[in-house]
Amino acid sequence: MTDQFNLSRRTILLGGAAVLGSAFLAPTLSGCAAVGAGGTRPLKFWHLLSGGDGVVMAGLVDAANEANPEFRATQTVLAWGTPYYTKLAMASVGGRAPDVAIMHASRLPGYAPGGLLDPWDVGLLEEFGVSEQDFPPRIWEKGIIDGDLFSIALDAHPFIMMYNTDIAEQAGVLGDDGRLVEITSPEQFIEVASAMQAVTGKHGLSYGYLGDGAQMWRLFYTFYKQLGADMSLTPGEPAQIDKDAAITALDFIKQLLDGTVAATNGDYATAVAEFVNGESGLFFTGVWELPTAVNAGIPFDAQPIPNLFGTPAAYADSHAFVLPHQSSPDEDQRREVYRFVSSILKGSFDWAGAGHIPAYLPIIESPDYAELIPQANYASAADVLNYDPPAWFTGSGSDFQTYFAEHVQGVYRGGDSAEGIQGFERRLNVLLAKPNPVA
Amino acid sequence: MTAVDTTETTVEVPARRAAPHKPGERRFGAGRIVAIAVLILLAVAWLLPFAWAIVTSLKSEADAGATPVSWLAPNGFTFEAYANVLAEGNIPVWAINSLLSSVVITILTLGTCALAAYAFSRIDFAGRRWLYVVVIASIIIPPQVLIIPLFYEMLAFNMVDTYWGLILPQVVAPPMVFILKKFFDQIPIELEDAARVDGANRLRIFWTIVLPLSRPILSAVAIFVFIAAWNNFLWPFIIINDTSLMTLPVGLQTVKSAYGVQYAQNMAMALLAAAPLIILFLFFQRQIIKGIATTGFGGQ
Amino acid sequence: MTTSALSSRAQAQAGPAAADTKRARQRSTNLAGWAFFAPFGIFFALFLVGPILYGLYLSFTGTTLTGAGGDFVGFANYAEALADADMWRSMLNTLWFTILSTIPLVLVALIMALLVDLGLPGQWLWRLSFFMPFLLASTVVSLFWIWLFNPQLGLINEMLKPFGVEPIAWLQDPQWAMHGVVVATVWWTVGFNFLLYLAALQNIPEQQYEAASIDGAGKWRQLFSITIPQLAPTTGLILILQILASLKVFDQVYQMTAGGPGGATRSAVLYIFETGFTGYRFGYSAAISFVFFALIVLVSIIQIRITSRNRGAKS
Repeated sequence: MTDQFNLSRRTILLGGAAVLGSAFLAPTLSGCAAVGAGGTRPLKFWHLLSGGDGVVMAGLVDAANEANPEFRATQTVLAWGTPYYTKLAMASVGGRAPDVAIMHASRLPGYAPGGLLDPWDVGLLEEFGVSEQDFPPRIWEKGIIDGDLFSIALDAHPFIMMYNTDIAEQAGVLGDDGRLVEITSPEQFIEVASAMQAVTGKHGLSYGYLGDGAQMWRLFYTFYKQLGADMSLTPGEPAQIDKDAAITALDFIKQLLDGTVAATNGDYATAVAEFVNGESGLFFTGVWELPTAVNAGIPFDAQPIPNLFGTPAAYADSHAFVLPHQSSPDEDQRREVYRFVSSILKGSFDWAGAGHIPAYLPIIESPDYAELIPQANYASAADVLNYDPPAWFTGSGSDFQTYFAEHVQGVYRGGDSAEGIQGFERRLNVLLAKPNPVA
Repeated sequence: MTAVDTTETTVEVPARRAAPHKPGERRFGAGRIVAIAVLILLAVAWLLPFAWAIVTSLKSEADAGATPVSWLAPNGFTFEAYANVLAEGNIPVWAINSLLSSVVITILTLGTCALAAYAFSRIDFAGRRWLYVVVIASIIIPPQVLIIPLFYEMLAFNMVDTYWGLILPQVVAPPMVFILKKFFDQIPIELEDAARVDGANRLRIFWTIVLPLSRPILSAVAIFVFIAAWNNFLWPFIIINDTSLMTLPVGLQTVKSAYGVQYAQNMAMALLAAAPLIILFLFFQRQIIKGIATTGFGGQ
Repeated sequence: MTTSALSSRAQAQAGPAAADTKRARQRSTNLAGWAFFAPFGIFFALFLVGPILYGLYLSFTGTTLTGAGGDFVGFANYAEALADADMWRSMLNTLWFTILSTIPLVLVALIMALLVDLGLPGQWLWRLSFFMPFLLASTVVSLFWIWLFNPQLGLINEMLKPFGVEPIAWLQDPQWAMHGVVVATVWWTVGFNFLLYLAALQNIPEQQYEAASIDGAGKWRQLFSITIPQLAPTTGLILILQILASLKVFDQVYQMTAGGPGGATRSAVLYIFETGFTGYRFGYSAAISFVFFALIVLVSIIQIRITSRNRGAKS
């Protein structure tokens, strides 16, 4: 070994050490959560709720902050869907994740088993007055993976139907009780929608889906489940899909998107705008667009999507609180997170104002909630909830919905239903054949 | 930026030749009129997105989302969107992060690359040749194929969600070594010999003779690196999840308004994010254009 | 290096004082060289060489985002990648994007530069118009164009209306989405090529035009007999830079279409990103990265071949 080699190696090592050393300084620079004035702990709260949801959530967070001087939660809204879940996973792996976040309950199988989430301490939850009996059993159980509680549901949010009562009346499809006539078949649905189209002169039904796998999946899965069909996805086995039911559902949706009943190429924002501008009578939408319709000041009501195929069913998901994994969580900080979640749940009556059906039973069972219209008119959808078929890759805003879009958007735009669903099935089988990356 | 003002560059851009290519070319022949028309058309097309963004940003949300699409605002133009965007408080934080990280990246890149380039250009050390081959060959490696292992490495270094994780990987710039070496090669060695006779060591020669002579290329590289760092998306997007550490491009893409689709606010945000570099460009148009062209030509 | 050091030591043992000083000088030179290189070298080793080697290692394992599944799997990832229709589709999308974007990015830049070089008044305005978009972050460009391309509220469809064009879902329709991304890309980056062309145009010796016009060559003749050939080296450079840049497309695609609709715009880098960070499969993603890297090397070799053949033909 010669001198110069020693020296250069030493230089490199020293340099390397300097770089590594700076890594340990990094947390200081990155602004660790510090206890603020008066012992108030800043809590970083991530969610993906925008639009009407975002407004109400902002209000809930403000109220919780005001009621609890112990913490001050700051919300960060990330782009809904894949971008959010990708970032959440990356932040959890990075170890400096936000203190608390909202996830869709349907996404848990892709996060909890891989150690991306920390489990909730049920005992500590009880200390803050939140326990199992405060939730409908199905919703509570959705948060349990391998015996540990990983998510606490804030709500259930089904895909429903809104309708403009003025247009319905003019079209002669409003019953004596002021509600839309009961629709029990696909043919009748198209009749009703066409009657409304005659009134608006534009479309009878608003439904936006272009470039939006989630929207496509929500409507499809509603009809698919109404047909009494099941879908089961077990890794290592081929996907179990009832293809006849799927084709029936797709054919019917295609029939709706004929350019008259509903726009053939409707995107989400356009569909919302169309309905609130009175250019259509019916609106397939998530409950979360309720505030948009309310704010628009149009006369409208809401109900579950009519049971057209025999089995009452609604696609739904739940927003649920999770603890993104932190490499070294601060016990006191975590305590405040529990306080925060408990405070939000107890104040979640306003969440119904965002259209959602609160999961916290004391809220739903309150007399005030029964008087809440139109929320009470679609609350029955909660009885026929259907979450995505569980698998590590399914759930709201997942690749699953993206793949659905890849194969089904063409169908919605007039392509062949059987071809679309077979393509989707092939895609699922590829995924199911791969090892589960979070197991 | 003051250094830039006094520079003379190797690439002489848009200082228009006084004389046209050919006498009589200034005649307004049919060809010339067509050329002017095409030029104006292109310029309008290229400015249109800016104009549309500005107009949209000055509308109320109701007007921005109204049909039929119009350049006018029935409810009047307003700065509401800008006020709302600024009230959220993120833009200034992201701008500071962008500025801080871009400046540090520029300084580190310039420093490390200039030293290495000088070594390759002037110092006949053992291993120089193969080392230079390795560095130049690495230009072909797209940083995009490194995202996975680099993220993993950053996890090991505990640098995810830190300024260090954001900055350090962006400092590696082999093309800049190439550009700077080419420039150093052209500096007459006699200039250094004189200093060497006076007993100056290499670092001193580098600092007092080579660097001052290299101002044009250094400013060109600095401008290029700064703009690239300011606008870089992929790596900052991967390494930063904490919104208070995000740069402008990342924050703009990642963090959404809690209040839904807001067309006017989107455009206001985009324009606010675009403003710093565009203002800088308006002030230093000549230098920036020279810098970009020089660097683009590989330092020629 | 060790060998040369050893030989110099042997020389020193031979004894001559001259060799001794020479050795000392060479040693100090070596020391200085490596010291000058070291700061860059550290970054180079840590953030370029390191990740490449580590990525290579990862590509032979089943590592996931969570760190699980780090078992050695041999060539399984590469075998899977070569049989992965989505990967090939993303590679083809990338090539298609490269072709679609490179042609206008070179031609439009050339036309812009030729027109601006005519010497019309308002030089700064032309340069500003064409170059300003290049200064924008991809995110800003995407926000602009998502808005311009909005099917119902967008300016583009509105401007096409008088021509009887039905509203087009630019970014949501698989037929159009790639073109939409290409249009935004051309708008964004053509200014860079334009500047390079403009700089090259200014360097064409005036005498050539004077000589040609004395010979009676018209302006079109001059364009094709002097300007374009004189620009050939610039065109070559722009082509190389452009093709490599286009192959690496990620930002605009991710921001404008997220690879959709139906994967119609998913680029190779986007697929790498999705596989690794959304699908958690780091090992597999690393393998795809190397397949993509091989594609880039292949394209580069072809380009170098073509360029050197052209040069050979000329000389």
